[in-house]
Formats: sequence, C-alpha cells, structure tokens
Amino acid sequence: MARTKAAFKPSLSDRVFDIANFTIMALVMIVTLYPFLNVLAISLNDSVDTVRGGIYIWPREFTLDNYVQIFKYDGLVTGAKNTILRTLAGTFLGLLSGTMLGYVLSRVDFQGRKFMSTFLALTMYFSGGMIPVFILIRDLNMMNSFLVYIIPGMVSAFNVFVIRSFIDSLPYSLQESAKLDGANDFTIYYKIILPLCKPVLATIALFLAVGQWNSWLDTYLYNGNAPHLTTLQFELMKVLQSTQGQTSGMMTGQNMAEIVKQVSPESIKMAITIVVTVPILLVYPFLQRYFVKGMTLGAVKS
Amino acid sequence: MKHKKRLSLLLAIMMMATFVLAACGNGDSNNSANGGDEGSGGSDTKQEEKLEPMTMTYYSADSNANWANMQDAVGKKLTEKTGITIQAEYAVDGSNQKLPLMVASGEYPDLVFAKGDANLFVDSGAFIDLTDLIEEHAPNIKKVYGEYMSRLKWSNEDEAIYVLPTLAAVDHQALDAGGTFQIQHEVLKELGYPELKTVKDYEKALKDYAEKHPTIDGQPTIPLTLNADGWRIMISVTNPAFIATGVSDDGEYYIDPETTEAKLHYKRPEEKEYFRWLNHMNAEGLLDKETFVQKTDQYEAKISSGRVLGVIDQEWGFGNATNALRTAGKENRTYARFPIQLDESTKDATFQDTGYVAGWGVGITTSAKDPVRIIKFLDYLASEEGQVLMNWGIEGEHYNVVDGKRVIPEDVQERKTYDNANFTKETGIGLYNAMFPRYGDGVKDSTDNYYTTNFPETIIENYTPAAKETLKAYGAEMWKDLWPKQEEFDVKPWGVAYNIPVPSDSNINITYKKVEEITRKRIPEVILADPAKFDALYDQFIKELNDAGAEKMEQEYTQLVRERVELWNN
Repeated sequence: MARTKAAFKPSLSDRVFDIANFTIMALVMIVTLYPFLNVLAISLNDSVDTVRGGIYIWPREFTLDNYVQIFKYDGLVTGAKNTILRTLAGTFLGLLSGTMLGYVLSRVDFQGRKFMSTFLALTMYFSGGMIPVFILIRDLNMMNSFLVYIIPGMVSAFNVFVIRSFIDSLPYSLQESAKLDGANDFTIYYKIILPLCKPVLATIALFLAVGQWNSWLDTYLYNGNAPHLTTLQFELMKVLQSTQGQTSGMMTGQNMAEIVKQVSPESIKMAITIVVTVPILLVYPFLQRYFVKGMTLGAVKS
Repeated sequence: MKHKKRLSLLLAIMMMATFVLAACGNGDSNNSANGGDEGSGGSDTKQEEKLEPMTMTYYSADSNANWANMQDAVGKKLTEKTGITIQAEYAVDGSNQKLPLMVASGEYPDLVFAKGDANLFVDSGAFIDLTDLIEEHAPNIKKVYGEYMSRLKWSNEDEAIYVLPTLAAVDHQALDAGGTFQIQHEVLKELGYPELKTVKDYEKALKDYAEKHPTIDGQPTIPLTLNADGWRIMISVTNPAFIATGVSDDGEYYIDPETTEAKLHYKRPEEKEYFRWLNHMNAEGLLDKETFVQKTDQYEAKISSGRVLGVIDQEWGFGNATNALRTAGKENRTYARFPIQLDESTKDATFQDTGYVAGWGVGITTSAKDPVRIIKFLDYLASEEGQVLMNWGIEGEHYNVVDGKRVIPEDVQERKTYDNANFTKETGIGLYNAMFPRYGDGVKDSTDNYYTTNFPETIIENYTPAAKETLKAYGAEMWKDLWPKQEEFDVKPWGVAYNIPVPSDSNINITYKKVEEITRKRIPEVILADPAKFDALYDQFIKELNDAGAEKMEQEYTQLVRERVELWNN
C-alpha cells in the first residue's frame, strides 16, 4: 500500500526515508568496499615502498612483482586445484544429500520423520568437540585423504532444515497429481521437487561453496603433512602468518630476529589475499539471478 | 507396506550416492598417492649409497612459510647424503592447537619441535629417552653440547633426555648490540656527538634537536616513539625497564642473584623510576601521542618517514623501516644505539654470560619406527660438514673457499639481504635450523672458519657510512664496544629464567595470563597519567598484580628456578 502511494507522490517522510536509506547504504558500501580496494592497492604497490605506509586506494609505486612472486609458490597451483575440486564436489554432493534428506523429511508419510528430525537437530546444538572429531576422522582412515574435505560436511543439519521448510511450502497437490500420473518417489524428487527448489538450491549452493572455498582448518588438522592435498586458504594462512602468535616471552632476541626476518612483506600478503578471495566472489553474480527468481516466485504465490 | 517400500528405495538411493562418492574420492586419493610415490622414486635413482631411503615425519610448532618439501638446494643435498626425506608440517595458527590433538590421539610424527609444550609429550610418555641413543650413535651431538650435556636433563626426578635443545645455539655470542635506546645519526651529528649515559642525556638530546627542528621533510618531528602492539609491548616498553636498570633478560621475572628468588620485574623500585621517566617524557610532550594505539605497520611507517628521532626497541623490531630509510637514501636518519641507564649507578647487563641456555628443541616420539636412524640423521646435521651445509649452503654455489676462507659471493649476499624469503626457499639455508643442535655465532670450525655466516668482520662491513661516522666519533668499531663487557658480570647459574619449562599441572600459566592482561592495560595507563597521580596508579597496579595471585606465582617460580640451578650444576 505504502509503496503504490509513494510511486505517485512521495510524502516528506518517504523522502526522508529515501535519503536516510541512500546515505546508510552508501556508507555500508564504502565500509565494505574500502578494505578490498586497500588490499588491492597494497598488492599492486612495491613491497619496500609499502613499509612507508600511506597507501589507501591507489598504489604509489605500481608493480606486478608481488603477483609474479606468489605464482612462484608451488603450493598455490596444487592448492588451487584442490580447492576448486573440493568446492565443486563438496557443493554438488552436499546439495544432493541435503535435498534428498530434506525431501524425505518433508514427507508426512515418512514414519521415522520425527526421530530423524530430532536426531539431526541435536547435531546443530551439540558437537563432539575438536579432539573426539579428530580421533573419529583418524579411525575412519580419512587422514591424509581428499575425502576428509567432502564427507564430514556432506550433511549439514541447518541446510537440510532450510531445504525441508522450502519443500514444505510447495503445494502437496503437485506431488499427488504426479503420483496419479504414475510417477514413483524418485521421479517426483527429480522431476517435481528439484526444479521447483532452484532458489533454495542456489542459496545452499552458495553456503556450501563459500564454506568449502574458505575452509583451511581441516587441511591443517588432517592433511597438514600432505603437500599434494593442500588448499588455497591453507597456503594463504601460511603466508599471512605473522609473528602475532609467537608470544609467551620465551624467545631469545636472536630467534625473534630470525622469525621477524622471515615474515612475508605486506604487499605479498595482500597479493595472495586477492588471488585467493577474488574467484569465489565471481560466483555471486551467477547465482544472483536465482535469488531474484526465488523472490518473484514467492511473491506470485502469496 | 507402501511406506516401507518408499523408505527402502530412498535408503538405497542414498547408499548409492555414498558409493559413487566413495569411489570418486578413492580414485582421487590413489592418484595423488601414486604421484607422491613417483616423486620419491625419482630421488631413489639419484642415490648411490647403501643407505635405504627413509621418510621422516616432522612437526614444528613454529610457522615456516618457506618450507619447500626439501626441493631446495640444501634439502636435496641432505637427502643425497643421508637418504632421509623430511615430510614436515609447520603450525599455521600460532595457538598450537594441533599439539594437544596429537597427544590425545596417541599418533605422533617421528620428530617433534614442540616449543613450550614439550611437557605435554613427556607427561604422556610420547617422547623417548635419548640418553643411550646419543651415547651410542651420536658423537657429533655429544661434541656440540660438550660440557653442557647435564643441561639436557629433564628434571631432578627424571634425569632422562627427552628434548635436544635446538633453538638456542651452543656457545652463541651476541656479536653486536641491537638494543635498546636508539637515536638518529643525524641528531648526534648536529649536537656534536654528546655523551649519552643516562636517560636524562638521551632526553636532552631528543629535546634539543626537536626544538631546533620542529618539522622534518615538512612533517612534525616525533622525539620518541615506542611499539606497544601486542607482544611487542614487552620488547619496546617493559623490557627496557630492566635493561635500563642494569639487569639482564630473564623474561618477565627478576631473579635475585643472591637468593635466586623470583619476582615480577615491574615490582622492582628501580623500574618504577624508569616508568616515571616515561611518564615524564609523555608529560613533556616528547613521547609520541600514538604510542599506545599504533599498530606495528604504522609504527614502521612513521620511522620510515625519518621524522622519529629516538626509538626504544631492538634493532630487529623495526628492520623493515631501516631498509626503507636506506633505500630512500636517508641513511643519516637510521639509528645509533647506546647502553643508556636510568642513572649512573648501574651498567647495562645485556651481555651477561648465561652459559648454554638449552631450552626448546626437538624430541623423538614413540611413533618413530627407527629412532637410531633419526638420531644418526640429527648427528649428521650436527657434524661439521652438516652445520656448514646448513649455514653456508653448497660450496661453489652459495659460497667459495678463497685462501682457506669461506666467502659468500656478492650476488648471493645481495639476494640474501634483499630477497631473504625467496632466497631461503630456494637454497634452504637457515631453513633447517630448529631441527638440530648447532654452534652459534662466533664459534670456529676445524678450518678456522666461523660456523655461521655472521661474524664481526661482516657486521662491520655492513654498517652504513653514517653508522661508521658515528662510531668513529665515539671511538668504537662496533656498537658492542660501547657496552660493558661480558667479563664484568658473573655467570648466571640458571641460564635464562624465561625458558624454564612450567609443569602442565601448575597454576603459573593461568596466573601469568592474568598478570599479562593487567600489565598490558596498566602500564600504558601509568605512562599516560598525570605525573601527580603516577605514584598512586603505580601502587594500584602492583596491588592488582598481587590480588591476581602474583605472589603465589612468584613463589612457585622461585622453586622452579632453584630446581634448575640444582639440576644444571650438580
């Protein structure tokens, strides 16, 4: 109602709202965009010059050297390969298992429904903790293997519930009519549910992909001594490593000096940050149209 | 019935998905495993000795971004000589959460550099006793530790050797002074090289120059700044308090040489006076206002601009800034340093003799299949040949022998200085240092060459002309010459107190965390306070420490110090 009115004749309060809205959004945009520009500028600046500070959004001594340097790290190529692989496989399999489970849980005629839901919900609130999980993974023989990137994260309770509530919102009559036409459960899942689920699939795919892309701790904990299983974020972590953690006053000056000397210059750190974060950013535009579609879909129905 | 059918169908689908997935996954891991095998197969052919190739797993609680899987020059040579390939893993998060995981799971790498967490491994029986192994298989390791072998013993109750101290080098001599009171060469030159003995002299020099030159290159002059970012507050703000009052470094404690009683060093009345001086510097407007809010990069940026006259810090604390100043042609804005004291009653004890400090090192775990082979490998590293390889690299490539002297060619030295990270990665020089017992700077080998690449001649060569000019004016050849000599002090029988391992069941670490928090909050506060309130605030600070349990912690620490004195000197 308020919307249609505004389209004809904006009242004072509407205008105030618009201005406030615009200002706040602009501020938010600057706040979120500035760090990226800053990182980009530093990554394109000469690394000795960077120490002098004062680089904001424009490099002072432009150079591509930092990028040339980091592409010499052999971990980066292997890491990129593994990260892309785990993102693709992890997203695909996560979606598959998530939607299947979500679909089953949405069916009123599924008898173990309540038990399964509670069972899943429990994992959202309680976890075994790091050491038991570590021991479990080890006993499952998933140490030093690519599987550890995929299997433990395949079913996430949260994703399953999001998918289930989306399926719940679809009219059940669709499934009934399909059944009348002779479709079995799998056909219904594949031909009716999945195509209608595109918006939620896009959302979950984004969660999964970003999660996979950004994860480094599993590499460190389970595959830390297998260089062929390294990931991009793990490589980034190694380079970003500053001396910040080396506290405890147990260091002799000599050792401190050695460590401080080994720390990568700021510009190199920023260059690798760019290389590691930009690819996943590119995923958003591709998935965005599904979000929009999802919204219109919802709007038409209600 | 119908329901059951559906359920089983769904289950079947889910299982199929799992199988498909498992198959893909396996395929992948097989491929990569094969890849790994081919790699080691390649290195086999290179090897002509009878030594079986062996892979040794290694975990280090320190980070190391330059590790190149032994594909560096030194690493390849090492595999060729010993047949051993090290599969290394370095901590990346600084909090060392992986060590407790290892201990809890009971599966360890063969060799572990656990830093301060070695007690976890010893308490859970994960480290093996090395005493007999060293005795039988490691003549070189024995030779390196020499008379200090007794300092390797774990405790008075358990005299086994679990850890080979590797972080601290044996017989290491600090070749030059790197701290603590730094002042620009330009300031000294302009003021006609005044005598700088006490903080008052230092203050006067900074003040006089700042009054004459309120701006440098168009920006306001900063007479003095410190770095209080995170742990660096210890290096630049709190440690100088004991350095300026004639005490050598024992970490956060002061150990009374007579009674071996430990107390937090801020509690010394002399140090209160040092902080009073900093407070006074702040009140006079001589201390940089941003001192306690700036981050390390801002601190270095400020120094790089050349407008900071004085810095109280170790030389390595602002190395990047020094480089930036040098490349910008502002050598005269780099720093000279002096053994400045609070007053003339004390002398700077930086060079007090500690003997071999032992401390953090590597241990062989119960998971190692062939500990003899590993100790022999470490023994090779500790041999003269091994140490020269680790420190100097490969003859003809990274150094040449000219008239019996090892010399680093100029182009190699240049890369080492200006492109250190990549140089380390390619050559492996310095990359393996935390792994084996070794000699420090200033020790000579059988060919009368130094083991390490740092020695007085190279240090003097690397001084800038500005530094040489200043040194000449003060009648010295090196900064160290300005300091009181090692012989002027007694040897500390406990080595250095900061590397005494704290038992895992003790409360010391918990209390220390609280103490650290209080200190990092209160010290800036007392320095920035109105001078009239200084005494009250300082007393409040000490009281707060005691309320947090500092006194009990000191007593326990005293006990540890006494135990070490007994262990090391019996």
